[in-house]
Amino acid sequence: MSYFLGIDTKEAANIAAIDDDGNEISYGDLVLYCNGLQRTISSRSLVFHFSENSVDSLCLYMACMHAKAVPLLLSPQTERDLISSLIKKYQPNYIVAPERICHYFDGEVVEVRGNYKLLKLNSPAHRLFDQLSLLLPTSGSTGSPKLVRHSYHNLEMSAKNVSQFFGLVATDKAFLFLPMYYTMGLSVIHSHLKVGAAIVFTKSAMTDAKFWSLLKESSPTVLTGVPYSFEILKKLRFFRMKMPSLRILTQGGGKLSKELYDDCLQYAENNNVEFIPTYGQTEGSARMTFVEPFMSTSKKGSIGKAIPGGMLSIIDDQGYESFEGEAAGELVYRGPNVTLGYANSLEDLNLDDDRHGILHTGDLVERDADGYYFIVGRKSRFLKLFGIRVALDEIEKLINDSFELDCACGGNDQKMIVLITRADMTQKVSDFIVAKTGLFHQSFEVVYVEDIPRNETGKVIFNDHI
Amino acid sequence: MNTLETYNAIFTETFQVEENVLDTDFNSDTVEKWDSVCQLSLVTTMEDTFDIMMEPEDIIGFKSYEIGKSILAKYDVTIA
Repeated sequence: MSYFLGIDTKEAANIAAIDDDGNEISYGDLVLYCNGLQRTISSRSLVFHFSENSVDSLCLYMACMHAKAVPLLLSPQTERDLISSLIKKYQPNYIVAPERICHYFDGEVVEVRGNYKLLKLNSPAHRLFDQLSLLLPTSGSTGSPKLVRHSYHNLEMSAKNVSQFFGLVATDKAFLFLPMYYTMGLSVIHSHLKVGAAIVFTKSAMTDAKFWSLLKESSPTVLTGVPYSFEILKKLRFFRMKMPSLRILTQGGGKLSKELYDDCLQYAENNNVEFIPTYGQTEGSARMTFVEPFMSTSKKGSIGKAIPGGMLSIIDDQGYESFEGEAAGELVYRGPNVTLGYANSLEDLNLDDDRHGILHTGDLVERDADGYYFIVGRKSRFLKLFGIRVALDEIEKLINDSFELDCACGGNDQKMIVLITRADMTQKVSDFIVAKTGLFHQSFEVVYVEDIPRNETGKVIFNDHI
Repeated sequence: MNTLETYNAIFTETFQVEENVLDTDFNSDTVEKWDSVCQLSLVTTMEDTFDIMMEPEDIIGFKSYEIGKSILAKYDVTIA
């Protein structure tokens, strides 16, 4: 049986992962661990994996992948009611979770590793599409039942192509603070394991002293962030810090402000580091485009070109598709990392490939004469607040299911605006959103309006409130 | 408003709590909402309000209602 990402072909003594609790595991031990659990975890079963950034969390994830079980990665901070409704809907066969939330679940403990447990639930066997490898939620924290279906081919090819354009080798070491359940965090893990490199996991907040001591002491070569993480890094004077081991600084998860982009560029120049901005979506197994480091100065603000194995095009508003020359319209991506499609129910987990390698991104772009792409807007209804994708329809549904009022969500990546039609409910709705989603209260505003303002095509008008 | 009132108002706004819960036990271990987003927002508002610029170790160290006061004292801001 072949191993996920070929981990059995790596130097057995090399470290695969370490974390800020002082745990570590070598490739050899990781393979042994996966072997050991192969009979415990039924093949083609469904697993809810509540992922912390730790060695134990990684080991259980890799064991699921090796046993050909299908994990859905979720934040351990997901609100309990939302977890219950996901369990009811998808009836997982196993739960992988840190000790502190295990009391949510009624199951038999079949494996313990550090503070992590593997629980077997009393759910029926499922019919899962034979190429289905992994599920990720479409929306960061709303407990959305809409999932992205990944194939084995998606993950293997994405790991291969991403490690190729970064030029990753076995001596690399990624410092990972982005959560494992977040597509880009997972991409960092896969691309490094693919080449036999190491991952340094931290679950400490950037405002913890532990985060900074690990960052300095672990001598990472690759650092990956989203725009908000670079804001914090800057505030805490990262750009003045000397990190001799660092060779790649990379960013995804939304557009950097002009100022932060320049800071990254300047840091890279002064410290002999490559700055590589990337763009992608969960639907494309994280990364779809990147800017070559030698172009990051001349093509500021660009998302660059397709990653190896991928191809970009634009469909303009006349429906005409073009692959080169200046154009504007919706960005389309083709490549082996394009996921199978969505699932909205248990039955959907048996669906075949809906996309056949073609992804209509919903992002509006322009392409210049040199073939570089620039994001100018978004067709789809979601925001990225602090790097977390927030589906506006999901928030509207959560509010509508719990309150008797009309509501509409809009805004931009700095702030979400929630219009509601009852003046006495603004604080209640605001508290509700915080409780359900964990969003910071200053990242959105609940505004009372008498009626939801709409234009003649029925589109909600938010302009007055942004 | 005196500096204590201002200091308290920044806490109540950042954490969406009533003033009477602000005491020696109000810290990053006891307040569930206290994450890096909150802490950064708290510190940035302190900096803007008191017109100071904190060192990284003080931003990281700003982990309780009480400690905050002694950190601000280093920048000649007396909370009283």
